[in-house]
Amino acid sequence: MQKLVYERPYIKKLTAGVMNKFGSRSGGKPFEYIDNVPVKSLIASYGSPLFVLSEKQIRRNYRAAYRAFSTRYPKVQFAWSYKTNYLNAVCSIFHQEASWAEVVSGFEYRKALGNGVPGNKIIFNGPGKTADELLLAIENDSLIHIDHLEELNQLIILAEGKANKPRVGIRVNMDTGIYPIWDRFGFNYESGDAWAAILKVINSGRLQLAGLHCHIGTYVQVTGAYGIAAAKMASLALRCKAELQHSIAYLDMGGGFPSTNTLKGSYLPGTDTIPTIDDFAEEITGTLTKAGFANDELPLLILESGRILIDDAGYLLGTVIANKRLSEGKRATIVDFGVNVLFTSFWYEHQISPAQEFAPNMENMVVYGPLCMNIDVIRESINLPLLNPGDNVVVHKVGAYNMTQWMQFITLRPAVVLIDEQQQVHLIKAKETLDYIERDEHVPGHLK
Amino acid sequence: MKNKIQLFIKAVVNSYAILFFSQNKVLGAILLLVSFFNPVAGLCGLCCAIFSLAITNLLGYRTETINAGIYSFNSLLLGIAFGSFYNVNTVFFIWLTLACLFTVIVTVVLVERLGRSGLPVLSLPFIFCFWIVLLAANSVFHAGLEPKSSYILSELYNGTGNLGSFHEYLYLNLPFYLNLFFRSLSAILFQNNVITGILISLGLLIHSRIAFSLLIIGFITALCFNNITNVYPDGISYYHLGANFMLTSVAIGSFFTIPSLRSYLWAIVCVLMVFVLINAFTSLLSIYNLPIFSLPFCIINIGLLYFLLLRRYPEKLQLVPIQHYSPERNLYQFINQKSRLNDLKYFRFYLPFMGSWTVSQGYDGDITHKGDWGKALDFVIEDEEKHTYKLPGTLPEHFYCFNKPVLACADGVVTTVTDHIEDNIIGEVNTKDNWGNTVVIKHLDGLYSKVSHLKKKSITVKPGDVVKQGDQIGLCGNSGRSPEPHLHFQVQTTSYIDAKTLTYPFAGYISREANKNKFNSFEVPAKEDELNPVDINVSIKRAFDFPPGYTAIITSATAKESIEAFTDEFNQTYFYCKETGATAYFINNGTLFYFTSFYGDKNSLLYYFYLSAYKILFSSDEDLIVHDTLPVQLSTNKLQLWLQDLMAPFYRFISINYSSCYLPQKTGLTIKAAQFKQIFGRQKQTMSATINIADNSIHDFDIQINGRDTKAEWIKEST
Repeated sequence: MQKLVYERPYIKKLTAGVMNKFGSRSGGKPFEYIDNVPVKSLIASYGSPLFVLSEKQIRRNYRAAYRAFSTRYPKVQFAWSYKTNYLNAVCSIFHQEASWAEVVSGFEYRKALGNGVPGNKIIFNGPGKTADELLLAIENDSLIHIDHLEELNQLIILAEGKANKPRVGIRVNMDTGIYPIWDRFGFNYESGDAWAAILKVINSGRLQLAGLHCHIGTYVQVTGAYGIAAAKMASLALRCKAELQHSIAYLDMGGGFPSTNTLKGSYLPGTDTIPTIDDFAEEITGTLTKAGFANDELPLLILESGRILIDDAGYLLGTVIANKRLSEGKRATIVDFGVNVLFTSFWYEHQISPAQEFAPNMENMVVYGPLCMNIDVIRESINLPLLNPGDNVVVHKVGAYNMTQWMQFITLRPAVVLIDEQQQVHLIKAKETLDYIERDEHVPGHLK
Repeated sequence: MKNKIQLFIKAVVNSYAILFFSQNKVLGAILLLVSFFNPVAGLCGLCCAIFSLAITNLLGYRTETINAGIYSFNSLLLGIAFGSFYNVNTVFFIWLTLACLFTVIVTVVLVERLGRSGLPVLSLPFIFCFWIVLLAANSVFHAGLEPKSSYILSELYNGTGNLGSFHEYLYLNLPFYLNLFFRSLSAILFQNNVITGILISLGLLIHSRIAFSLLIIGFITALCFNNITNVYPDGISYYHLGANFMLTSVAIGSFFTIPSLRSYLWAIVCVLMVFVLINAFTSLLSIYNLPIFSLPFCIINIGLLYFLLLRRYPEKLQLVPIQHYSPERNLYQFINQKSRLNDLKYFRFYLPFMGSWTVSQGYDGDITHKGDWGKALDFVIEDEEKHTYKLPGTLPEHFYCFNKPVLACADGVVTTVTDHIEDNIIGEVNTKDNWGNTVVIKHLDGLYSKVSHLKKKSITVKPGDVVKQGDQIGLCGNSGRSPEPHLHFQVQTTSYIDAKTLTYPFAGYISREANKNKFNSFEVPAKEDELNPVDINVSIKRAFDFPPGYTAIITSATAKESIEAFTDEFNQTYFYCKETGATAYFINNGTLFYFTSFYGDKNSLLYYFYLSAYKILFSSDEDLIVHDTLPVQLSTNKLQLWLQDLMAPFYRFISINYSSCYLPQKTGLTIKAAQFKQIFGRQKQTMSATINIADNSIHDFDIQINGRDTKAEWIKEST
């Protein structure tokens, strides 16, 4: 007879009476494999904690999103949002799928060049571009999206005497009926600032107005906002054509589409409430195709989606360090990954699954990270089976932002592996080392 | 003025060359020269040719026909014949002038009448007019013309003649048959001169290897047949050999038809028929004391040509569609254009959807595309696992193609719409309303397209609406005989919803093969093909948009040319270069730009552009390489080409291939092109070129060919 799984003792209030409508067991099954690779073997090979990315899922997400837009609109281009996850292996997958690069700093810009993206397929966004970075982008014929007047003026000066006019876009912000309005980026539509900026670009004679850009928010959960945004962008483009005889080559609708993570404070899980990429595509393309462009003059539609293309392709594997009971009697579990590596735990109620067989009994608990800091809470309240020290857990949908916003704080950052389509595991970023952290540190002579 | 004189001289030379169905300058000049071996005849011929050219020019006939020498070569023959057969005196000139004028009139009238039926006049006007002259001169009334005691004339009268050494200077130490061959050729100019024959042979060989080989075939066939049957025991008259047998062989085998094994066989058969005709007409016309000249040749040619023209479905033995006055060029151009000119054959249909769709049932499919309804296509959208739906796949909404826009495949008028039929539950079919919600669009008289199984109440057009290609007309649905959502597309000849289908290709689409995109032009996709519309790059498209009136100046280190785009009366577009007179015909179908033919100076920049931009796809997809072939006569190795020419009607071992693709650049757009020469399957690159595009216009191009690198700047002037 097989040895039964050890079950630590627990006390649970007896709730007598009829079973509720959801049945008796709601915890689901253990999550033992990612793309057929055992979680345990991953931890054994690469240590714990460990980020795991599924190439298959990334490609599947990209293709589904591309299909959603391209079967509804004739000219669609995706640009991979570098800040979402700029591990070179990840970027390369997207570039292989014909994605351009969308970068927001000189650092990301050079990263894109390093990944072999041709200059004219890099979109340079963001409010903080330096003169040198702008010059580099001009040199490479990249698309520069202007965020503010200072940048516009600077570009006009930099563009003087250039044989090839720099290709620029105007970042437009607008009221799309959602809160907050991201009016801190770009020029406002309603106030006329955006139109004034367009006029300034055209009248300068030194810049080539290639497109218009907007990015209405993040984790936007209503499709209607995109319809409003698309309509306003189209009206600007049509006005350019009518009043300035200038055709806008592309409309960049940005990103901001939500993944199916559950935001903190949501009543229902994200999987049930979030619109699909098809819903967003329908709204945006439906608005653009009816906006009044001639069939052969429809502008190229650019999308800078990040999160929706990668969030559910990322997993964080970890190990239980200890269990405790808090003063008011609530259970707490301490795991070996903290908010420093799982940054998104500030926003999401991440789903966490045990990576091995477990007993059916569930207990409500707090999941803490290993940091000696009070803020290090992964989940404030989650129903999990009884976990023992050394057990492994899998955190789902962590592909977006974590591998860029993580920080080296108290502990070192873990390794990242990629499971390719043939289920081969590749280390795409090694575990951080003390040497790496201290490499650029200098201790003055008198302190040695 | 200088230009006019040049043109006139060219027309005079053409009048000579066209006697051998050529417009080759060398051949024309040789004929002009050798006609003066009999100075009087030569002078008369030249005068008559000039006279008729001048008169047709003055009276304002079609310039192209005049310059081709078509109105003047009969007069030329008449002049030569006059000079050969009559002694010069005062009356001679009067008669010559009148006869020449008469010939011009007859020629113009006959060219027009026969031309309507697509037939040539050949030397009929000459024969007719010379008969008139002979009848008049031989009549009881004194005309004043004094016939030379010419052996030719007597021979022509007699039909056969004794071949031998009449002229002492003719005698060269040549084998008999070679001697006969050359003299036969000279007989076409009413001479009996070996030197003339040798020179004409040289000219003909320069003009065309195919024609020359047919001359020999005609010669041998006639002689062999005579040897076997002994029709003429003393041998065939060399006049008939030249003017009837050999010319018939050339005309049938290579001039009016595309040279091929079949055309050669017809040439041989016709040579045999000429025997019958010569004998029949000789006995008929001897009653009136008239020579038959090349009448058998004219009759057999016009007769056979008309016979072939009347065919409904001419599959083999093609007639020459555009006469280039060179059998080689006719053949190579024909082979080259057979697959290239689909734009002139078909109406341009594009895919009726956006994005990537897969053919789930092709032509004559095994599910429902059967019998009269076989030539139809079903499309679905598949994911990377070849599923057409996302889980659980129980509702139409789960299917990727459901609710997706359906587009008009081409411009037209909506004729029929059904929009009320309920979408089916997955797995069920509605055989009562077989086609479901449907839109039929009329594109031309007798050419309709139909999309079916659309979503209920999704159709946004109504009968009578004008739609443009790419307009949304409805949404993909699951109505009618459709167990799961898909789009049915077919082309038909009537507007009825249940009409029979018609095989019809799509003008351009991208298919995916072995993870690479491939451009398809005028093809019908097959089952399982994954299709995408061509993603047009607007900059490239605008750069290759050359409306009539477009002018540009092309400059290189050594040359400067100004070109202009024109449209001719057949709505064909072409570039004309003012400096060199070069002409390059092209087609721009909105997806592709390609040249169809080039005439003129092969050192011109326009020619280099023709080679560089032979076929350009308006796409910036690096995967898409467009391939094409150039006509073989552009090969620069003349020896190889001459060998190929001789074999060309039966077997072609040289091919010139072209490919072009988009070349990614740090800035701007570049098209890279290459030309390969393939000999017996071995390929060698013979040209490489790049075309740079900036600001929606061609900026410059750079071509490396024959070891020379030419950089040319392109300055657009106006449109």
